[in-house]
Amino acid sequence: MTLVLPTASPRRKANFTAYELTVFGVVAALFLLALIGPMIAPADIYTSNMLETLFPPSAEHWLGTDDQGRDIFWRLIAGSQLSLFATVLVVILYSIIGMIVATLATVGPRWVDELLMRVTDIGLSLPGLVVSLGIATVLGPSLQSGIIALALTGWPMTARILRTTMRQTMEQPFVEGARILGVSRTRLMLKHVLPNSLDVLIVKWAGDISFTMLILAGLSFIGVGAQPPSPEWGAMISGARGNMSIAWWAVAAPGAAIVINAVAFALLADILQVRRDPSLRA
Amino acid sequence: MGVDTILTDGIIPAPVRRRPEALLQVEQLSIDIATRDANVRLVDNVSFGIGRGERVALVGESGSGKSVTAQALMRLNSRVKLSGRVNFDGKDLLSLSPSQMAAMRGQRMGMVFQDPMSSLDPLMTIGDQVAETLRIRGISKRNARQRALDVLDELKVERAAERLDSFPHEFSGGMRQRVVLAMALVGEPDLLIADEPTTALDVRVQERVLDLLDEISRRRSLAVLLITHDMGIVAGFADRVMVMYSGRIVEENEATLLFAEPQHPYTRGLLEAVPRADVTVDRLRSIPGAPPVPAARPSGCTFHPRCDRAMAICSSVEPGEAITPSGARVRCHLYGAG
Amino acid sequence: MLQIDHISKSFPAGRGQRTMVLDDIVLNVDEGQSVGLVGESGSGKSTIIRCALGLAQPDSGRVSYSGIDVHRASRFDTLRFRRDVQLVFQDPYASLNPRMTVEELVGEGLLVHKLETTAAGRRARVVEMLRMVGLGEEALARYPRSFSGGQRQRIAIARAVVIRPKLLICDEPVSALDVSVQAQVINLLQDMQAQLGLGILFVAHDLAVVRHLCTTVAVLERGRIVEHGSREQVFDAPQHPYTKALLEAVPIPDPAIGRARRTERQLAT
Repeated sequence: MTLVLPTASPRRKANFTAYELTVFGVVAALFLLALIGPMIAPADIYTSNMLETLFPPSAEHWLGTDDQGRDIFWRLIAGSQLSLFATVLVVILYSIIGMIVATLATVGPRWVDELLMRVTDIGLSLPGLVVSLGIATVLGPSLQSGIIALALTGWPMTARILRTTMRQTMEQPFVEGARILGVSRTRLMLKHVLPNSLDVLIVKWAGDISFTMLILAGLSFIGVGAQPPSPEWGAMISGARGNMSIAWWAVAAPGAAIVINAVAFALLADILQVRRDPSLRA
Repeated sequence: MGVDTILTDGIIPAPVRRRPEALLQVEQLSIDIATRDANVRLVDNVSFGIGRGERVALVGESGSGKSVTAQALMRLNSRVKLSGRVNFDGKDLLSLSPSQMAAMRGQRMGMVFQDPMSSLDPLMTIGDQVAETLRIRGISKRNARQRALDVLDELKVERAAERLDSFPHEFSGGMRQRVVLAMALVGEPDLLIADEPTTALDVRVQERVLDLLDEISRRRSLAVLLITHDMGIVAGFADRVMVMYSGRIVEENEATLLFAEPQHPYTRGLLEAVPRADVTVDRLRSIPGAPPVPAARPSGCTFHPRCDRAMAICSSVEPGEAITPSGARVRCHLYGAG
Repeated sequence: MLQIDHISKSFPAGRGQRTMVLDDIVLNVDEGQSVGLVGESGSGKSTIIRCALGLAQPDSGRVSYSGIDVHRASRFDTLRFRRDVQLVFQDPYASLNPRMTVEELVGEGLLVHKLETTAAGRRARVVEMLRMVGLGEEALARYPRSFSGGQRQRIAIARAVVIRPKLLICDEPVSALDVSVQAQVINLLQDMQAQLGLGILFVAHDLAVVRHLCTTVAVLERGRIVEHGSREQVFDAPQHPYTKALLEAVPIPDPAIGRARRTERQLAT
C-alpha cells in the first residue's frame, strides 16, 4: 500500500499510571478545596485577635497565626478560592482574546493576518510582568486590576501558537472538502478548523495556570494586586514579610501553598503533553 | 549478457518445476507483539522455503503480516517476539547473536524497502553508502568504491562514475530505488528480500526496476523474496507465490498454476476483484468487508466472515494444510484435510 | 456540463524561470458521462482538479460549469456550483473531520445548502444515503476513526452525493485502500452513476481502474493531454507513444503475458 494506514480500533482505553492518577488526584483536590474552602473556614479569620499575634505553629493553630492573630492555616484554605479562581479566570480571559485574534488572522485577508501577528510580536517582546504592573497601577491596586492586567498581557503566546496550528489545520483535506461542499467561512472556522486546533491549547492551559498563579501572587506581593486583609496568597506573603525575622511561618506557609499549586499544574501539563505526543515519553 | 542468460533458459523462461536446493527454510514461524493490554499474534505458524536462485512472492494486504515476516527473517524488529525456526543455509537465524546476525545481513541477505529515501542517509554520498557494507567488512576504500561502481553499472545507473559523489536528493525516485538495490546487492548476497520495492514508483519506472531485478537474479542466481499487495507485478516476476491473509499463508503454488487455478476463495476473490488494463468487464466481483486487524482476528478460518463459500465448520475450526491436485498447498475446509 | 477550456498554468521555478504545469488543457464532462484522466505523479492531475473546482486560478483559459465561469462567478452561482460539483479524495483518513459524527458529516451539505431544514428531515435523508452506500443507521453517532478505510470512503462518497450533485470528481479514490476493498468502492461508484445519472471525472494513475470505470479517457503527460478518446480507442488502439508505453508497463495478472513481455523487452535492449 502507498500509505501506512492506522487500523480502525475501538476507542483507546485510558490506562493511567499510578503517578498520573496521583497528579490528577492532587489537582482535583486543589479545585475542591478552592470550591468549599471559604465555606468550611471559621468566620474569625477575617477579624484581628491582638492577643494571639504571631503564634508559632501549634496543635491549635497548625500553621501559626499572623500579625493580626488570624489562623494562617484557615486563611490559606479560604484564600485558595481567590488565588486559584483568579488564576483560572485570567487564563480563560486571555485564551478567549488569543482565540479571537488567531481566528481573525486565519480567516482574514493577508493584511489582517500581518497586522495581528505584528501586534502579537510586539506583545511577545514586551516584558509581561512590567507591563501588567503598569496597567494594574493605572487601574488602581486591587485583585480585579491584577486580573485585567494579566489578561491583557497574557494572550499573545496563545494567539501565536493557535494561529500556527489553525494554519496547519487549514491545509487538511477535510477543510478543503468543507469548502468544496460550500460551507460558509464562519461555519468552516467554528466547526472544522477551531475544534481541530484546540488540542494544542489544552496542554498549554495547565502550564498557564501554573505560571499565572506565580505571576498573580507576584503582583499582589509587589502591592498592585490583591490588598491586605485579603487572604489571597500573594497578599498574605506581602503582609507578613515585615515580620519575617521573627515569624517565618507567616511567609513560608502561603509561599508553600503557591509552590504546591504551581508544581501540581506544571506536572499536569507535562502529563497532558506526553499523552498527546507519546514520542516524548522517556 | 542479459540475452545469454535468457537464451539458455529458452526464449520464454519456463516456470521452475524442479525444487531447487533450499536456501531458506522457515518452519512454524510465529510472531507476537506485546501491547499494553495483551499479546497480539501478528504471524501465526507460517512455514515455507526458498530455493537458491528462486523468486518467490509473498502477497497480502495490510495487516496480513507480510512485512512483519520479512523483517523477522532479517531480525530487524526488536519489539516482536519470534518463535519457530528460520534456517538459512544451515544456520538457525533465530539463535544467532546480534553481531553474527548483522554480518549475515551485510553479506548473505539484503533487503530493500518501499521508500528508498528512508534507507538513504541524505548527508552521505551515493558511493560511500553503497560501499559501506564492504568497508565494514574491511575491504580497502579503493576496492570498495570500484565494486560500488560495478554494481551501479550493473543496475544501469547512467554515468555511474560521475554520480558516485552525488547525494540522494539529486536522484529521481526510480534512481534512488536503484541505489538502495545497489546497497543491498553490493555484498553479493544469496537472498534479497524486497518489501514493496516499487509501490511508490510510477508504472514505467516500476517495470524497469523489476526488469533489472529479474535480470540480476537470473545472472547471479540470486534468490528473491518479493513482498507486495499487487498480483499484477507478481505474475510477471515470481516462480512461486504465497498468499497471506491475516497472519497465515492460505495458499501457495507455482505462479502459473496459482493464477490459472486459484484454489482458496480469498486468492480467487483477489484475482477477480482487481480490474485489468487489458480486458473490459461489466462488474468486478468484490469481497465484502475488510481484512481484520491482528488484535481482532476471527475464529476458525480467519477469512470465513468474508467468504462466499463459508460452511458451518469454517467459523469454529482452523483449517489445516491440504495439497490439491493442482499442487497447491492450501488452508481451506473445501479441500478436506482438517 | 463541465468545460475545461484551454487552461494553462505555470509555477515559479526560481531564477525568474517558470515551470509549465498545465499546457492548454481541454476536457469536457457531459451529464451522466464518466471521463477518466490518467497521469503519473507530477503530470499535473491535482492541479487540474484544483482548477476545475475553482480552488486554483489558471493563468489562461477558463473553466465553466453549465455556463457559469467558475473563477468569476457571483456568490449565488458559486453556491450552485458548490452544490452541483463534489469531490471524493484519495485518502479517506484525512478527508473526514475527525470531530464530527457520521450524521453531521453526511448531513452537512443538506444543512449548508438548506435542502433539509429540520434535524429530523436531515436524519432521514442521511440514513437513506447511508443505506445506499451500504452502511446502517447504527453508524450515525459514530466518529470516522471507528471505521475501516473502505467504510470511510463510503462515508466520504455519501457526504458528497447526498446533496445530489451533477458531477463527482474522484481523485484516486481507491489507491489508498486494500486490494480486496477497492472493488467495493469501484462498484459503489458505478452504482451511484447508474442510479443517479451522475457525471464522473475520475482522476487516477491506475489505468486498469480507469478502463473499468470510464467510457472516455484522456492521458496526461507532464501537463499536456497527449491522447483523448473513447475507452476502446485509447486502450485497444493507442496512438501516442506515451500511452503505448504506459499500457505496456501496466502489470497484468497473468504470468504468461508478464513473462512474454519481459522477454521481449530484454531482447530489445
